[in-house]
Amino acid sequence: MPLTGFFQAAAMEPMQVDVVEENHNVEEEQNYNVENPTIDLENYASQYIGLARLNRLLFIAEHCNALKIEALRMALNYTMKTSFNTSLYHLIHHKLVQATQGAARAGTNSSSNNLPDVAPVATVDTQWLEVTSKKAALKLEQLDTELKSYKSNSIKESVRRGHDDLGDHYLDCGDLSNALKCYSRARDYCTSPKSVVNMCLNVIKVSVYLQNWSHVQSYVNKAEVTPEPSDNNKDANQSISSRLKCAAGLADLATRKYKSAAKYFLQVNFDYCDFPELLSPSNVAVYGALCALATFDRKELQVNVISSSSFKQFLELEPQLRDIMSKFYDSKYASCLKLLSEIRDNLLLDMYVAPHVNTLYTQIRNRALCQYFSPYLSADMRKMAEAFNTTVAALEDELMQLILDGHIKARIDSHNKILYAKDADQRSTTFEKAILMGKEYQRRTKALILRSAVIKCQIHVKSPPREGLQGGEMSIAPASASSIVRN
Amino acid sequence: MATSLEQYVNMVQTMSTSGNLTQLYDFINKSAEMLAKNASHLDNMFATLDVQQASLGILGILCVKYSHPNIPDLETTLVQTTEFFSKCNGEHVRFATDNYAELCQKFAQALIDRKMYARGIAPLIEAIQKIQLHPAQLTSIHGSLCQLCLLAKNMKPALRFLDIDITEISREGGRLDAKDYLLYYYYGGMIYTALKNYERALYFFEIAVTTPSVAVSHIMMEAYKKFTLVSLILHGKIILLPKYTPQVLQRYIRPLCQPYMSLAAVYSHNSLAELRSTVTEHTDVFNRDNNMGLVKQCMTSLIKKNIQRLTKTFLTLSLADMANRVQLSGPKEAEKYVLHMIEDGEIFATINQKDGMVRFHDNPEKYNSPNMLLEVDKEMQLCIQLDAKLREMDRDIAVNPQFVQKSSGTHEDDLPVTSKRCLSDNMLE
Repeated sequence: MPLTGFFQAAAMEPMQVDVVEENHNVEEEQNYNVENPTIDLENYASQYIGLARLNRLLFIAEHCNALKIEALRMALNYTMKTSFNTSLYHLIHHKLVQATQGAARAGTNSSSNNLPDVAPVATVDTQWLEVTSKKAALKLEQLDTELKSYKSNSIKESVRRGHDDLGDHYLDCGDLSNALKCYSRARDYCTSPKSVVNMCLNVIKVSVYLQNWSHVQSYVNKAEVTPEPSDNNKDANQSISSRLKCAAGLADLATRKYKSAAKYFLQVNFDYCDFPELLSPSNVAVYGALCALATFDRKELQVNVISSSSFKQFLELEPQLRDIMSKFYDSKYASCLKLLSEIRDNLLLDMYVAPHVNTLYTQIRNRALCQYFSPYLSADMRKMAEAFNTTVAALEDELMQLILDGHIKARIDSHNKILYAKDADQRSTTFEKAILMGKEYQRRTKALILRSAVIKCQIHVKSPPREGLQGGEMSIAPASASSIVRN
Repeated sequence: MATSLEQYVNMVQTMSTSGNLTQLYDFINKSAEMLAKNASHLDNMFATLDVQQASLGILGILCVKYSHPNIPDLETTLVQTTEFFSKCNGEHVRFATDNYAELCQKFAQALIDRKMYARGIAPLIEAIQKIQLHPAQLTSIHGSLCQLCLLAKNMKPALRFLDIDITEISREGGRLDAKDYLLYYYYGGMIYTALKNYERALYFFEIAVTTPSVAVSHIMMEAYKKFTLVSLILHGKIILLPKYTPQVLQRYIRPLCQPYMSLAAVYSHNSLAELRSTVTEHTDVFNRDNNMGLVKQCMTSLIKKNIQRLTKTFLTLSLADMANRVQLSGPKEAEKYVLHMIEDGEIFATINQKDGMVRFHDNPEKYNSPNMLLEVDKEMQLCIQLDAKLREMDRDIAVNPQFVQKSSGTHEDDLPVTSKRCLSDNMLE
C-alpha cells in the first residue's frame, strides 16, 4: 500500500520519503531523478480522473524535480475540488511546503536557477478541511443508515447498491481497504451476471490502486467466466471486456509477465477504451508496444502488432512509438534505439512502466542484436557496433552474454573482431547426448537396485533409543527390531 | 574348571565333524561367559583345535579374547586372527555371520587404537572374500576395510570392492545396520575423492545422503557436505537428488550446512572474487570439517569452468583478455591454466605464443572411429545388462506367492510399493 507509505513517511521524516517508499515496494525501484521530461503536465493529468490522476501526479513529483511543484499544486487543487480525501490533502500540502522551501533555498544559494517562480504556498485551508470532513461523516452516516434499512427489508438488489455506494464513498475519502471490503461484501447480494461483473470491476479498480496484482488477476478471471448478459447492448460488453484486458495486462506487466501483458494490451478495443480511472489509451499503446517489442519475434510482431488494425489506432496516439516499431521491423536498429532512448525519460515518469524500463530496454536490445545477426554466417563486429551505436568491446561483452544464454548460436573471433555463426554438428551432439543419457541411466538403475536391497534389509536411520542419546544423534536399532515394528 | 574347557573342545570337535553347525553356534554363544572366565587357557585351546575343521570353535575363542578390555598378549592374538581369516572354513563361519563380523570389527578397532593401520588391510580383504556369498554382497567388514585404507593412506586395495556395485546386503543376523551401511558409502566416497574419481565419489555420497532416514545422522550430514563440494567440482552446481531422498535432508541437514550452501550459491555467480571472499568468511568451518582441500579445488574448478565458458563464445581470445575475464592475475597465469587444461583434454585449443592468442577448437571427436563405436557398444551392453537385472527382480516379485495372494485380494489399491517389497522380503527370509 504505497499510499499509507506516503503518510507514514510524511509524518516521520519528510525528506526521506523516497527511502521509505523504497522499503515498501518490494520491486526494485531506484531513487532516480528525471532531468529533462517533455511532458505537458496539464494535458497528461487530464487523461485521468480520481485517484489515478493523483497517484500519477505524486509519482511525477517524486521523481522529477523540475515538475515537482507544478505537479503537487495540481494534485492539491484536484483533491480539494473533487474528493473528501482530507488525509491526502494533508500529505500533498506538506510535500508542497517542503518543495517550495527547498526551491527557495536553492534560489538564494545560486542566483542562476531557472525554476518556475516560487510563489508562497497558501496555508492549510482549515475551513475546507472542516467542511469536507463534516460532509464526509454526514454522508457516511446517511449511507450507513440506508444500508441498514435495506438490510432489514432484505431486498437483495438494494443491499448490493448500498454496499457499492458505501464503497464509492470510502474511495472518495481515500480509505482503500474499507472500500475494498464494501465492494467485496456486495458479492453476496449479486443476483444477475451484470452485477457480478460490476462487483468485479469495482474490486479490480481498488486493487489496482492498492497494487495488489494477484487480486486483480483473480477478479479478472472471475469476471471473464461470468456469462455475458444477453439483454444488454453490445457496446457495454465491449467496454467491459476491454477494461478487463487492460487490468489483466497491467497486472501481468507489474508481475513481469511481459509477453502475456503484451497480448492482453493488444486485445483492447480502441473504440471502447475509455476508463480514465485506470489507464489512458496512450498508456495502452506504450505498454503494449514496449512489451511486444521485448517479447515477440518478427513474425508475431508483423501479424499481431504492425498489421493489426485496432492497435494501429493506439499507435497513432504515440507517433514516436509507431516510428520505433516500424524502424525495428525495418531493421534500422540504430535509429530505433536512439528513438527509444529519447522517450526513456518520459517512460520513467510513468508509475506503472517505470520499474520495468531497464528490463524491457535490455530485452529489446538483445532481440535486436539477435535479429541483426540471424541472416549472417559471419559478421564484422566493427560494422555491427556501428549499427548499434556502441563500441566493439561493449558489443563483445553483450554478445558473450547472449551466446552463453543460448540466444545467439555463434562464436567470437576476438582477434579479427568477427562473429561467426556456429554450425552445430547434429550427429556429434546426438552421440554426446546418447552417451550421457546411458551413463545417467546406469547410475540411476544401480542406485535403484541398491535401494531395493536396502529396503529389503530394512536399513534406515532412526532416532536413538533413550539411553543412546549421549552418543550423538546417530544410533540405529538392529534391523530385526525394526522389522518387528513394521510387520 | 578345566573340565568345562575340555567339554567345550569336545563339543566343538564332535559337532563340527557331524555337521550340526546350528546347534554348535548356539552352544558357543552360551559358552562365551565360561570362556571369558578362563582367559589364561584360551591360547592352549586355540592350539588344540584345528582352524580348518573347527572354525566356529576358534571364532568363539577369538571373540572372547577381543572382548577383554585390555587384550592380553596382543601380538599373538593378531597373528592368530590373521591366520584364522586365511584358513577358516567359509561354509562353517557363515553359520555365525554376526560373530564373524564382530570379530572383524574388533580386530580393526584394535589395530586403529594402536595405529597399525596397514596391517589390517590384507587380513580384512581375505575375511570379506571368505564370508561373501558373491562379490556384489555388502558386509559390515567393507566399512572397516575402507576406514583402514583411508587411515593407512593406501587407497588401492579397497578399490577391488568399491568398484563392484552392490546388489545385496548381508544381514549378519541383524547386526548390519544403517551405521555400517552409511560408513561404507561415506568412506568409499572419500577414497574415490582422494583418487580424484569424482564421478564415482559423487555417486557414493549420493547413496549415503539418500539412505532412508527419519532422524539426523552425523554421517549423513558430513556426507552431504562432501556431496556438495564434489558436486560443485564436477558439475559446477549441486546436482538434483532423486525423489526418494528423505525429508530429513531437506528439513534438518541442509540448514546445518549453511556455509556450504552459501558457497554453492556464490559459485553459481561465476565470480572468482566473490567465491574467495565467501571462502575466507567460512574458513574456520571448512578447516574444522577437514574440507578445506576440497574447497580449494572448488576454486580451481571455477576458474576452469569459466575458461570452458569462454571456449563456447570465442574462437580466438588474447591471453590478457582471458585473464581479465576469468579474474586471473595476468596472461602468465592464464597461459598456465589453459596449458594444463589442454593437456588434461578439458578444452581443445592451441596457444599462439607469438601474439599471445588462444585459438579454441571444436571437439575433434567425430564419433566415427572404431574405438569410439566400441566404447558406445560397451555402454549399451552395460545398460542392457542392468535392464535384464531389473526384469529379473521384477519377475521375482511377480511370481512371489504371497505377493500374488495379496495383490489379487481385496486390498489391491492400498498396497504401496514399499509394502510390496516387504512382502517379497518376508518370502525370501
